Amino acid sequence: MNRIIGLVLTLFIVSGCATTGGVTSFTNAADTSSVRENEGRLWHEAGGFDNTIERSGQIYDDRRATDYLQGVMDRLYPEFKGKIHVRIYDSTQLNAFALPNGSIYFNIGLLARIENEAQLAAVLAHEAAHFIERHSFRQRVSAKNTSAFAVSGIPFSNLAAISSISGFSRDLEREADQKGYERLIKSGYNPLEAHKVFQALANEVRILGIQEPFFFSSHPKLVERIETFKELAAKHKGGGRTGAEEYNRFIQPIRLEALRKDVGQDRFKSVILVMEDQNLRRYYPAAGYYYLGEAYLRRDQKDDTQKALQAFKTTERLAPTYAPTYKRLGMHYMKIGNKGQALQYFNKYLSLASSDAQDRSYVQQYIGSLK
Amino acid sequence: MMIRKVSALLVLVAVLSGCAPTPYWTLTDGANKLAKSKSFEMIVPEGWNRTTAPDTWDRLTIDDKVQTILLERMTASRDGTGIHTITVTRRYPDTAFPAIKKKSNANMLPLEAADLYVSDLRKRTGLERLKVLSNKPVTVNGKQAFQLVMEFKNDDGLRTRMVSHGFVDKTGFYTINYRAPTLYYYERDYSDYARLVRSFRQLKEAFDPPPEIPGWAKLFT
Repeated sequence: MNRIIGLVLTLFIVSGCATTGGVTSFTNAADTSSVRENEGRLWHEAGGFDNTIERSGQIYDDRRATDYLQGVMDRLYPEFKGKIHVRIYDSTQLNAFALPNGSIYFNIGLLARIENEAQLAAVLAHEAAHFIERHSFRQRVSAKNTSAFAVSGIPFSNLAAISSISGFSRDLEREADQKGYERLIKSGYNPLEAHKVFQALANEVRILGIQEPFFFSSHPKLVERIETFKELAAKHKGGGRTGAEEYNRFIQPIRLEALRKDVGQDRFKSVILVMEDQNLRRYYPAAGYYYLGEAYLRRDQKDDTQKALQAFKTTERLAPTYAPTYKRLGMHYMKIGNKGQALQYFNKYLSLASSDAQDRSYVQQYIGSLK
Repeated sequence: MMIRKVSALLVLVAVLSGCAPTPYWTLTDGANKLAKSKSFEMIVPEGWNRTTAPDTWDRLTIDDKVQTILLERMTASRDGTGIHTITVTRRYPDTAFPAIKKKSNANMLPLEAADLYVSDLRKRTGLERLKVLSNKPVTVNGKQAFQLVMEFKNDDGLRTRMVSHGFVDKTGFYTINYRAPTLYYYERDYSDYARLVRSFRQLKEAFDPPPEIPGWAKLFT
């Protein structure tokens, strides 16, 4: 009897060791065709997740920006060209994630906060490393062996999406940092930019008290990420491509859209944090001050109406063709009874706003009521 | 002897109240088209089911805290609430936009109310991807109001469209909302909704002081 128990235990230990040890990283696009059985099912799940994202309209439709991101990815990993697909995810949360099948999603919220191409490349290289090192599969094998996920109550079928979005284990994250960093240097990017993006995000997460269960919003993981990148940077000199100008040319409209969405989703604190900080706002278009004004109105604390008015006036000065500013200024003067100023601003709005602007009919009504 | 009488009375009350509960839903026919809450009334189209009495409170989770808020709300549906609904709601000024914790005031312009309403809806429902298709000024019961048309897709790509009429006055924030799948149902029943909007009337009781939150509700707040 003791022999049988001993044999069962030995088999159990051996099988546990064999499954985790047998997973090797992909070396190129052709390599990925060898995926089979359990990993194939994981890819199938990931494909389903891709379809859900597509069908539910969560892809941010900007062909130029998407092509630019894909170009940076192909520069980082030319041997995986056509296998790693980068898409822009229409969410203002500070996140990016890789699915086991090579789909990488980058949220507009995170794109808006990044300053240059080297920082973008640092995040893309990290996410691609999760795919190339087959972290989802390794995490699943590990979870099967330890039953950790059964205990935590996460349905196994959703593991692909959950681990991809909310982050991997500490060891796998560290490996993605290491591999991504090596690739960043090999591709000619300035490696000293890498920790800056995580540092900026950590500050934002701390100040805003963000508690969303996402990888980039998890403060302890971010701190660890910064430390890893600082350690790696200590071994290298700076220098290499930063690509601030090119990055900002493609991403500028997304920054404005992220501000608009943040206000619309009641994340006014985030808008105020960014637009009040001269370091953070330097890459935002001047029309961003309009959303600062909107954010003050949403916050509605003492003096916020006055601060909003100042922000709208700043937009008028720095971005004189941005139509929504004139609607807001008109509404302000209408409310305080200054009909002349209100009419002037409303008319200016009508002259600048597109013919299908949603607020046009309101402004026409306001003009009618003022005359 | 006294205990027996009291017990018998309690049993009688329990039995009688059990025998005649008010049904939650009422089928609207030619004789009962007028649906009335304390603050408003409207004509519900025949063939639609509607709540017999208005809901007077709602429980919401705001920033991970469960809260009970007072309101008046009547709901109507012809084919089931899972398919389509018309909801008429009055929210009191202090809890007009509960998820984003914003109050309403009589000076609020319809455009401002519409913006806050969309933000509140996105936060309350978790529908970040709720898109505004149009937003225009209209009148409801003679008051300046907004008309919003919004749409979202579920995970299977099914489009659901919502149209909301809303206005603000000193008694609070009123919305008349119709939600249905874009495919087939939205167009089919839109005219019923439009008739209901035209029939909406605010009642003089709307100007009574708002009710106090009852003790039991405070337990959940």
